[in-house]
Amino acid sequence: MIPGASTIRVVEAGERTGVVAEIQSRFGAGRWLSTVQPTKDDIPTIWVEREKLRETLRYVRSEIPRPFPMLFDLSAMDERLRQHHDGLPIGSFTVFYHLFSFERNQSLRIKVALGGESLSVPSSIDLWPNANWYEREIFDMFGIRFEGHPFLRRLLMPSWWEGHPLRKDHPSRATEVGLFQLPPEKLVMTQDALQFKPEDWGLARTYHDRDSDFDYMFINLGPAHTGTHGVLRLVAQLAGEEIVNIVPDIGFHHRSQEKIAERQTWHSFIPYTDRVDYLQGVLNEMPYCLAVERLAGITVPPRAQVIRVMMSEFYRIASHLVWYGTFAGDVGALSPVFYMFNDRERILSIVEAVCGGRMHPNWLRIGGVARDLPVGWDALVRQFVEWFPSRLDDYERLVMDNPILKQRTVGIGVLSLEDAIAWGATGPMLRACGLPWDLRKVRPYSGYEQFDFEVPTASNGDCYDRAVVHMLELRQSLAIIRQCLDSMPSGPYTSLDPLATPPLKHHTMQDIETLINHFVGVSWGPILPPGEAEVSTESSKGQTSYYLTSDGSQFSYRTRIRTPSFAHIQMVPLMARGELLSDLLAVLGSVDYVLSDVDR
Amino acid sequence: MTEWRNGRLEGVRVTEGGDGPLTAVVGQSVLFAKLQDLLAWGRKSSLWPLNFGLSCCFVEMATSFTSVYDVARFGAEVARGSPRQADVLVVSGTVFLKVAPVIKQLYEQMLEPRWVISMGSCSNSGGMFDAYSVVQGVDKFIPVDVYMPGCPPPPHAFMECLLLLQNMVGSERRPLGWWFGPQEVQKPIMPSMRDAKRSERMSQREYPSIDVLPRTDILSPHFAGQPNGLSKTKS
Repeated sequence: MIPGASTIRVVEAGERTGVVAEIQSRFGAGRWLSTVQPTKDDIPTIWVEREKLRETLRYVRSEIPRPFPMLFDLSAMDERLRQHHDGLPIGSFTVFYHLFSFERNQSLRIKVALGGESLSVPSSIDLWPNANWYEREIFDMFGIRFEGHPFLRRLLMPSWWEGHPLRKDHPSRATEVGLFQLPPEKLVMTQDALQFKPEDWGLARTYHDRDSDFDYMFINLGPAHTGTHGVLRLVAQLAGEEIVNIVPDIGFHHRSQEKIAERQTWHSFIPYTDRVDYLQGVLNEMPYCLAVERLAGITVPPRAQVIRVMMSEFYRIASHLVWYGTFAGDVGALSPVFYMFNDRERILSIVEAVCGGRMHPNWLRIGGVARDLPVGWDALVRQFVEWFPSRLDDYERLVMDNPILKQRTVGIGVLSLEDAIAWGATGPMLRACGLPWDLRKVRPYSGYEQFDFEVPTASNGDCYDRAVVHMLELRQSLAIIRQCLDSMPSGPYTSLDPLATPPLKHHTMQDIETLINHFVGVSWGPILPPGEAEVSTESSKGQTSYYLTSDGSQFSYRTRIRTPSFAHIQMVPLMARGELLSDLLAVLGSVDYVLSDVDR
Repeated sequence: MTEWRNGRLEGVRVTEGGDGPLTAVVGQSVLFAKLQDLLAWGRKSSLWPLNFGLSCCFVEMATSFTSVYDVARFGAEVARGSPRQADVLVVSGTVFLKVAPVIKQLYEQMLEPRWVISMGSCSNSGGMFDAYSVVQGVDKFIPVDVYMPGCPPPPHAFMECLLLLQNMVGSERRPLGWWFGPQEVQKPIMPSMRDAKRSERMSQREYPSIDVLPRTDILSPHFAGQPNGLSKTKS
């Protein structure tokens, strides 16, 4: 059962551990379930033996009362260099499942330790269909095999790549592996690797039954195509004009963010988070900083929290505007994008006055923000808040009431709520199916509980409804900005916790100890205590989460970035099957995605 | 050299003299120039970019096509979907290992004359992404005409580089057929902008405070003159 708006409630922290007791009472608290790992977040984390993994997953998927219908994240980590084991049954690799229950409003993390010669885990595609890409990504990045996976091949790296990048013995830098060259024979080899052969992807070339007999047509879109908004590649299998299947091919935008996180200090990774989803600036920094603060136990002062919220909502509007304009352009309305980019410029000029940057503000810091708001910020923000509502009315008439746009999007790419949950949809994609699920409301962070806003939903889950949700969210974000403007608290803009801020410069010349601490804090950055913390937040496209593992050094031991676009692009075949080829671009346009968010 | 100024071509010989109205009309609409110069002027005034984007930089490139910046002022707004119709390849973003052969193929499919702008730090040198999956600069496999610094460069930087490229294209001389003498394209020597701007940059002694708000007036003229808006006078 999926709860409606009335049954959603915020679950107290004490209730969240109940699930471990339920699992233990079902299977008996044997050796393999006795290990409950303490983590810095409130997510119950249990270790399961490899042989019992399937049984446990099936139990929490379907048998347990109030089950866990969503596989939120699935990834792995290389444990071979980890210093702090703390009595955990750690092998050489760990695969972790991050499950989610809407009824409980609770996450559950199940870990399985792998070691020895054969690195393999049973596949769980039959339980959660979206495990498909996650398992391929683990195979690509770690070389862990999934038994029973129908199509286990590389996902992000090219097929000719050797090695598994997220293993600790794989080089991180391009400059470690020598100069890149593209001689003719390598060019031919790499271009051959991009050739599409339907058999490789398990697609038939011909259709044959008693009444008909025909060849399918295959159309390649991308990676250089104007309709894919970046380097995404899709191959459509067509019967006439009808889409039989779609094969997305990703990895053209893989920037190895997770590997880079293992060599940057806790602070110096913040600029990289900006570039994970390049349209939404501080919305990327938010979950990362919250996770580091959770690890270090840092409290953020109220003014910093509200500044963070205000800039987040500005970026949410900016990101939605880009989406809105390109979506309208994808279905043939070419003029709206000019209006929307115009308003985006207004937002970016406020962002530039506050943060100094446009797209990549690098503005949040561990424990607060980079500096205080400039004098006169309120005049700028007020100007925008007064300007924007009439523009939203215009957009409604220009785009949403347009009969051609309605014909191209209503009833196209319909997604049912059950499918959306089973495939890991979050954010506007999920809310367009009717579930009012917004982390800002159901699990408030950074002081969102103090703001008065609504969670807009739609009911049909088609392309048009996804646009409706985006449209209504613009108004809600504007309402939040207005509240920030009216009640910005005074006080410090960053925490003075030693893990967040080095000793202040003007204290350094008083004694040698402060000077040393300042020097170490500025040049190396803080050393965080060992532990694990995961924070997910509501970003513009869905739930973004950073799962950080600290091994007690100035670097992260493993940073797992769960992004909404990855899950949403995996659902494109589901939404496009049975539609016409021309509807594919409407479907793609309605899925709010950014390629850097897909491939990271 | 032929140059378009004040609404007309300058540096070309325009017919003069005569006293009747017909002669005056002909004098205004007929011009003589070397064909080479005319072609160069035509090329530089209609640089059509390939509609191809890689990452963050592409959003800023697309922003320069929209109304606030409006790259149509320079005749470069006709983004082509097919490399065969495009003149300029703007490598706007990170060059990934997996996408390098695609860029190479796109470049080879473009017809001569063709130019390449490398937009942003990633495309220039790999930038902050010194990572296993990133090529450290697009010039490892295709020639680059203009390098644009920034992460990402703002739209006005894109337009500045477009104008630089226009200057270069306008002063290039390409042989029009077979003749005696050198057959290759004569390219001008473009000065390093870092050197050209150095003295001006080094002479700056005062930096504006971020609290001085009219700074945003300069950056975004659309804020000025709005109802309830900031006036242009300094606060």
